[in-house]
Amino acid sequence: MSSIPATIATENADRRSRVDARHDVWFRRLLKVCALLVLAALLGAALSTLWGGREVLLGHGLHFLTSDAWNPVTNDYGAWAPIFGTLVTSLIALILAVPTAFGIALFLTEIAPAWLRGPVAMAIELLASIPSIIYGMWGLFVFVPFMASIEPGLSEMLGRIPLFGKLFQGPPIGLGLLTAGIVLAVMILPFICSVMREVFQTVPNRLKESSYALGSTTWEVVWDIVLPYTRSAVIGGIFLGLGRALGETMAVTFVLGNAYDITASLLMPGTSISSSIANEFNEAVGTHRSALIALGFLLFVVTFVVLLVSRLMLRQLARREGA
Amino acid sequence: MTENTALPNMTSMFAATSSLVSMQPKLEVRNLNFRYGDFQALKSIGMDIPEKKVTAIIGPSGCGKSTLLRVFNRIYAVYPGQRADGEVLLDGEDILDVGYPLHGLRSKVGMVFQKPVPFPMTIFENIAWGIRHHERLSKADMAARVEQALRRAALWDEVKDKLKRNALGLSGGQQQRLCIARSIALKPEVLLLDEPTSALDPIATGRIEQLIEELKRDYTLVIVTHNMQQAARVSDRTAFMYLGELVEFDDTERIFTKPAKQQTEDYISGRFG
Repeated sequence: MSSIPATIATENADRRSRVDARHDVWFRRLLKVCALLVLAALLGAALSTLWGGREVLLGHGLHFLTSDAWNPVTNDYGAWAPIFGTLVTSLIALILAVPTAFGIALFLTEIAPAWLRGPVAMAIELLASIPSIIYGMWGLFVFVPFMASIEPGLSEMLGRIPLFGKLFQGPPIGLGLLTAGIVLAVMILPFICSVMREVFQTVPNRLKESSYALGSTTWEVVWDIVLPYTRSAVIGGIFLGLGRALGETMAVTFVLGNAYDITASLLMPGTSISSSIANEFNEAVGTHRSALIALGFLLFVVTFVVLLVSRLMLRQLARREGA
Repeated sequence: MTENTALPNMTSMFAATSSLVSMQPKLEVRNLNFRYGDFQALKSIGMDIPEKKVTAIIGPSGCGKSTLLRVFNRIYAVYPGQRADGEVLLDGEDILDVGYPLHGLRSKVGMVFQKPVPFPMTIFENIAWGIRHHERLSKADMAARVEQALRRAALWDEVKDKLKRNALGLSGGQQQRLCIARSIALKPEVLLLDEPTSALDPIATGRIEQLIEELKRDYTLVIVTHNMQQAARVSDRTAFMYLGELVEFDDTERIFTKPAKQQTEDYISGRFG
């Protein structure tokens, strides 16, 4: 009596599970395609810059990497000056931005009263949303004259220190590596800071309480507990900022001075990979154009190497802690 | 028995009580009020916590028992908006006084929390880190001190071969004993235990209770627990709290057999809470 509806029910369930299984397969394929798209885009960009720069990369060979010549008239190109400028300005930016971002994030999560946290956090987010062309204009019209006015004092004071002083000798024109580094620092600060602030908030209160209960100071809790606990995310945030600093174009182009020179002094003008491309792409043809595209490829490589180094550093740290 | 003659209204049945009370208390709480913002969590608490005994604080959730414990090492001060007034005397000195050094207080009054919280470092460093805040020791002295603390917490045999491993790899019960070791490594005088076994299985709980029994030879222990059997098993004195007030504080045996207040009896017999 009940056997007929029972078979129908089983059949329905069978059909249902077949349909479900098919949907699942398609859903999985869709997700896979989405993920592969990222790889395809990355690979495509890398390969097309490699292809576009083949003339210079093959023609100049290692010379392209090590030479600091950049002469469109004789078609002699070397990428060392832009690479140097890129690395130095980014390094200055990190040295200035990381401790400051750390301080702001700590203040906001550990010390600031509740009513102050929201507004300051909001201001940081806003700082992150300012377009880089604005930073460039501000840099050129406001910050460069300011730097020009303090640079004589700077060389006077720091330039006398043996070895280290070399960094601060030079003409006080305002433009240069140091100025670009400082502008970059302001630009990447909010990125690093908001990542730090967010991950510091994830540290469980009981972890902090139990370290305070051992008589630790705020600094000890932050340095030995909060920072190790959030280490990989903090380093991730720093590299997010570094990635932006390495590739930043407009702001740097405005204040860097665009000179293919490598000098010990941070007050001297320099150039960076992205600002070279931005400055010259308009009138570049033939080998010159190929050299600029090859520069773009090198930016890829530099960024990749930096990321790789950060991964290795993280693994090293984890091993030391016995994880 | 001289105390009995001093308190003639007490029957000999409570001889133990009077001998406990007459000892110089380690912690004296006088008219203690505590507020989280506008909410008053403790209402004029007064109690004497005897030295080298186990004092249990019991009561239903939200009665203020953990809050009271958190006053004893002023850990509440980590958060803005939490205020305590009144007096808490540790060996006669008021720890709520702004002039009382927090650093010293926390080395004298250790605390073990509900959930085991190993620090993100090696087992050895988990113990050594706290010691370094208070003392400078040579490498050998530090190693000896760490070993001593781990032995004291009955953990040494289980971890002696993996001191360089991350403490997060230990089991829950081992982690909790590590936290106890971490606290006693500072040579505290008082050890506060905030529901130390509520996240542990029965076997791990048994080991911790055994440890409490051993520790009371050297330390004054205050344990907050929602487990009445545990309070009855490990403590000498028991305080029953309800809605931020101290309802009754007496010998554990007395609280569990012949409580003076109806509320205590209702709670003990499981009629509420």
